[in-house]
Amino acid sequence: MELKSKMLIAEETLVIQLKQKDHQAKAFEVLVNTYKERLYWHIRRIVLNHDDTDDVLQNTFIKVFRNIDSFKGDSKLYSWMYRIATNEALSFLKSKSQKFKINNEKLMTKAVEDLRADVYFEGDEIQLKLQMAIATLPEKQKLIFNMKYFQEMKYEEISEILETSVGGLKASYHLASKKIEAFLKEN
Amino acid sequence: MDKLNKNNSFGVPDGYFDTFSSDIMKKIAKEDASMPPNEGFKVPEGYFETFNTRLLEQLESTPAETKVIPLKSYKKHYYTAASVAAVVLLFLVVQFNSDKTPSYSDLANSDIENYFEFNDLELTSYDLAEILPIDDLDLNDILEIRLDNDNIIDYLDSHIEDFEELNMHNDD
Repeated sequence: MELKSKMLIAEETLVIQLKQKDHQAKAFEVLVNTYKERLYWHIRRIVLNHDDTDDVLQNTFIKVFRNIDSFKGDSKLYSWMYRIATNEALSFLKSKSQKFKINNEKLMTKAVEDLRADVYFEGDEIQLKLQMAIATLPEKQKLIFNMKYFQEMKYEEISEILETSVGGLKASYHLASKKIEAFLKEN
Repeated sequence: MDKLNKNNSFGVPDGYFDTFSSDIMKKIAKEDASMPPNEGFKVPEGYFETFNTRLLEQLESTPAETKVIPLKSYKKHYYTAASVAAVVLLFLVVQFNSDKTPSYSDLANSDIENYFEFNDLELTSYDLAEILPIDDLDLNDILEIRLDNDNIIDYLDSHIEDFEELNMHNDD
């Protein structure tokens, strides 16, 4: 059996177990162990800072745990969790920018500048510049760029998570790459 | 499961099926080690190892959102809701009477253009081509100034040396 179909079966079993009280704890542990790192990096690329990522990641798993009954299985468990993580990260940024009374773009520019002093960032100038370029992108393009470029996800996977057509994704990715290229040339 | 095994002389190790899904999940987790390809981000040492414990603590300390809402608190909201509804109603009546419902023609062309320019429509030119009824479009839908046939003929007449060469007679 291919790994992919094995994965689907394993996911289905896991969902069933997560909905049963007696298997819940064990199944949840498996779920967390399987996805914590991927979701961590997905969130980290959106919020940039480690401590914020930790908060968002915990909230994501808590939401998953509390809402597993409402998971209907229309999409893959994995896409569903990514969607929750994305929404959690974006609403985290939104409330943060409201708290500091600045708009999202300024917040992100500040977040990138903060990376310089961040002990958990050891990228060089080029990596920092790339992050600056990404910070200038509109929200959706940023998500798509991160998922495609850094996470190397397939358009079909991204399409299921963001609920956007593959054609639209390709166009946005193309636009995002052009903007980043232009930014890197200018600066 | 026992039914399936009735006439089966094959055996599996104890607990094989119990650990099957967690084994597969472990494989998936390892399959693409999700470390970013040298982006510069780091995590504190032992972060992922201790994550589960901290998560469980967090889960226990945040109570599940209870669905039972005390009846009394509704009462307060009735007044708020009623006043909001009254304001909305009043607003609608005023709007309706003043007959100021914006229509498509109230939109300036520049607004529409700006909308398409600055909103991420997630449409490629191919997508657009599929949606737009090209056959029903004519030149005047795109131009801001209306062009009449006479204007076009005048223009061609004054700008082209041999007007007849254009062969502009109808085929039928």
